Amino acid sequence: MAGRQGAQRPNGATQGKICQFKLVLLGESAVGKSSLVLRFVKGQFHEYQESTIGAAFLTQTVCLDDTTVKFEIWDTAGQERYHSLAPMYYRGAQAAIVVFDITNQDTFARAKGWVKELQRQASPNIVIALAGNKADLAQKRMVEYEEAQAYAEENSLLFIETSAKTAMNVNEIFLAIAKKLPKNEGGGPTQSRQSGVKLNNEQTQQSEGGCCK
Amino acid sequence: MTELGKADFGLTTFFAKSHPNDKCGANGLPLTPNSIKVLGRFQRLKAVSHPNLCNYLDVARGKHERLMVVAEHYRHCLRSTAKSGKYTNEELFIELAFGIVSGLAHLDRIGITHRNLSQSNILLDHQGKVKLSEYGMYYMTEDGTSVAFPIGNHKYLAPEALGLGPAVIEDHTDSDATLTVPCGPKTDVWSIGLILMEILSIPYKNGFRLFSADGRCKDLELPVFGENGYSKEYLESDHLSLRSMEEVYYLWRLAGGDLVGALKKEGLTKSKPPIHLLPYYSTNEGEVFGQTRDRAELLDSTVVILSQEQLRQRLSEIDETAYYPLLEDEQSQVTSSLPTSPSSNDLSETANLPLVIREKDIEYQFHRIILYERLLKGYPYTRGHIWKEARVDIPPLVRAHVWGALLEIEGDIYARYDEIDKETPTQTDRQIEVDIPRCHQYHELLSSPAAHGKFKRVLKAWVVSHPQYVYWQGLDSLCAPFLALNFNNEALAYSCLSAFIPKYLHKFFLKDNSAVIQGKLFRLQEYLPVFSHLITFHDPELGNHLDGIGFIPDLYAIPWFLTMYAHVFPLHKIVHLWDTLLLGNSSFPLCIGVAILSQLRSQLLSFGFNECILLFSDMPEIDIQRCVQDSIKIFCNTPKSATYRQHARPPKKAKKEESRPNISYYSRDYNEQPSSELSMEPIPVEELKTEKCPRISAEDLIELGELSGPSHTKSPTKRKQNSKPMLLVIDVRNQEDFAKGSIPNSINIPFPTAFSPEGDLNPCSAVTSLNLHKVQVKVVVGSRGRNATNFAIELVRLGYQKVCVLHKGIDVLRSTNILTVPPVDL
Repeated sequence: MAGRQGAQRPNGATQGKICQFKLVLLGESAVGKSSLVLRFVKGQFHEYQESTIGAAFLTQTVCLDDTTVKFEIWDTAGQERYHSLAPMYYRGAQAAIVVFDITNQDTFARAKGWVKELQRQASPNIVIALAGNKADLAQKRMVEYEEAQAYAEENSLLFIETSAKTAMNVNEIFLAIAKKLPKNEGGGPTQSRQSGVKLNNEQTQQSEGGCCK
Repeated sequence: MTELGKADFGLTTFFAKSHPNDKCGANGLPLTPNSIKVLGRFQRLKAVSHPNLCNYLDVARGKHERLMVVAEHYRHCLRSTAKSGKYTNEELFIELAFGIVSGLAHLDRIGITHRNLSQSNILLDHQGKVKLSEYGMYYMTEDGTSVAFPIGNHKYLAPEALGLGPAVIEDHTDSDATLTVPCGPKTDVWSIGLILMEILSIPYKNGFRLFSADGRCKDLELPVFGENGYSKEYLESDHLSLRSMEEVYYLWRLAGGDLVGALKKEGLTKSKPPIHLLPYYSTNEGEVFGQTRDRAELLDSTVVILSQEQLRQRLSEIDETAYYPLLEDEQSQVTSSLPTSPSSNDLSETANLPLVIREKDIEYQFHRIILYERLLKGYPYTRGHIWKEARVDIPPLVRAHVWGALLEIEGDIYARYDEIDKETPTQTDRQIEVDIPRCHQYHELLSSPAAHGKFKRVLKAWVVSHPQYVYWQGLDSLCAPFLALNFNNEALAYSCLSAFIPKYLHKFFLKDNSAVIQGKLFRLQEYLPVFSHLITFHDPELGNHLDGIGFIPDLYAIPWFLTMYAHVFPLHKIVHLWDTLLLGNSSFPLCIGVAILSQLRSQLLSFGFNECILLFSDMPEIDIQRCVQDSIKIFCNTPKSATYRQHARPPKKAKKEESRPNISYYSRDYNEQPSSELSMEPIPVEELKTEKCPRISAEDLIELGELSGPSHTKSPTKRKQNSKPMLLVIDVRNQEDFAKGSIPNSINIPFPTAFSPEGDLNPCSAVTSLNLHKVQVKVVVGSRGRNATNFAIELVRLGYQKVCVLHKGIDVLRSTNILTVPPVDL
């Protein structure tokens, strides 16, 4: 399932490390979570991207210096009603992208909610990136760049404005996350996969406590 | 419904205005093509019915924003008829005027402005009755904004309409299209005046009238239809003309009718090579100069009459009686309802062909439609009959109403729907608004603005009228099939949705303010483990594999069940899936899930976790026909209580008259049966999750094992033999207990000594017997304790199919007189 970046290292000069990371996308519905993933993984953009129910899973590999980083991406449903499923996906995740729509202030507020929840409930050293999506609609902007930037700095998040439609900064945000992730404890495929499963089993016991609202 | 009578089908074509390339709306999405907009608005015209108006039948999109409109048509129009001087007769003139005004008055009542009136679109049928046509042009093109040509004959247009100039939309957006001022009914009044004036003042050649007898004139004008233009006897022998126009048009298409072909034949689709349409000069900003206008984009009002000859020929062999099938025939109650007329003796064979072929077979569809039409007229009294026919198949033309019947829609749905407030803004609006433009948008109809409006109203109506529930993402997908089928009948779409949800998704969309509920998706928490059990029950190898790699249903099946597959399949597949789904009970969707997995079995077995989940992130191609067949097979091979869910819909309270008798083992939900101590009971979700196999209730065991006499069974579709699962009872208690009393014909494999250290079954006569009955449902019976459950888990590990455990063990049968002392073995 290697993507454009390719997991195989063509020159193979140095024996690179292979790291696998679980990454989750969170944010209000219709902000472009699935579109960002689709752009990153398949280089495609669907104008009428269907809504996500439950969650979707995709993988993509990027090369970073001598390391191959494989992202296991969990793309979640945005509607508040599906909130209780979210812990199942972000628990054990090493990275999260919280997405909002720059043309809608409410989605930014919701993004802040997600950040707060992640800081409280997710693993303590999770890398969180804030993505202000739909940057191609800058003329309808409702969330100022500076405002989001200031918020991101306060909470030590990565912040990039993206556009899944024009592909602006989409690869960049994933690369930035890859850079920030610790490469020595990323874990092999088995470890990572098991974490996904075990967490699901925990989900029943914990789902009530996992909600912030 | 209007009968066909002697009407023709008239085809017209025009182009919708194309948008500049790459132009986007304010929401960043591409603009909805104008042809789609027209397509959506057109649907309402299909429902317009009045004796003085031609019915609209169909619209289709061609290449390059071409639209093709099919409508009722007559060969005579006012322009040609008036020349004869017919209307110098005052009575006839008044009749004419009255006909035109009646038609327009009806249009005004339903809020449609004609604005396109002219002598050539006032048609006259064979009795000389006025039939207005082309009245929908202004409406369907949204006051002319969707086309590049002006609408209306300037000769008859009111001054204010002419004064407005061409319709212009200021901004190229979907939502805030601001039109100058649309024309109202008064423009039409002006046009009537002018037209009638013109008729009155036509200069007639007196000599012409003197020389020709009335009768001869008519002969000249109506050569095809004989004297008087209308003959009762003729009509009576032409049974097809008594069918509804929609039906005949549907059959016409099945008989090979082709709109594009008809246009081509008339030379109406000639287009210039694109190179001739290139501009001479273009700036970097995209401004173009010197682009000549394609003449094809101008309106050509030619009406192509669609020949019914081919259709009539195809149907000519059909016996007259086929038009009037008998429904209640005392002798042949049990026999197939398909007729066996000389030409159609192969119809019962056709019924065995794949559905896609049946849907294209004109003769087959003809019989089915006529039958269903009669049955639907008798609904709700014919419910049982409709149910029976639906087990064969449902013709696409009548699907909307048949679904309504299967969902037991009754009463004044229109009044109920009208009463619901669908306009007041609510908190859910934003969510609904962002979901609708992403829901099945590949579908021409559903992507139109008209559809979006309807979508929103139906969803809002559901949310408002079910205060205990909330809108979930996924509800839009559930709504889509109903809306697409009932595009002109929001009330029925709403009623179907409202009946469907409690049937299959009982309380799934519950508001989550209750503290008792653990986790908001608690319905799924019971649903999904039951699904896992069912997978293991039917395909232990696959179940073991998926379990082993941790590919649990929570990761892939949530959209399946929350939307009853409406989110994962395209609409044309959903309708076929739901045709059968609607016949099954609330457990049937679980069987569909197993059928999908079994279709992908070999891939799944070779895949690891990541590949499996990637496979489902984009639903792979599924053969839906096969999936339906497999689901039925699975359904029929599953004891009812094995899919028991405590949260399924509780039994309906005392229905006055049960029109669908419970003659069949499968016709009723397990939850709808009266419960006794032999029934299934709620099992905590945690316990469910630790088990691998489903449980079977004592009641089911007695019924399926025929422990108290023979039982009746019927599968959900007709073509399969009546069937039900066969049982093999495995008693895992020790020999002494077994000898003291056990279920007749059960075999005894005491658990403690059953397995070798390697984990295989120790050979003995009972094990031999077990291996001889591999396909049967194996009911593992123990007493208290987990022996039975553990034994079942071992059987599954060894790959035994259809293993289930008797709920509450052997003790539950003590109160019955079923247990016997087994014959001494060997």
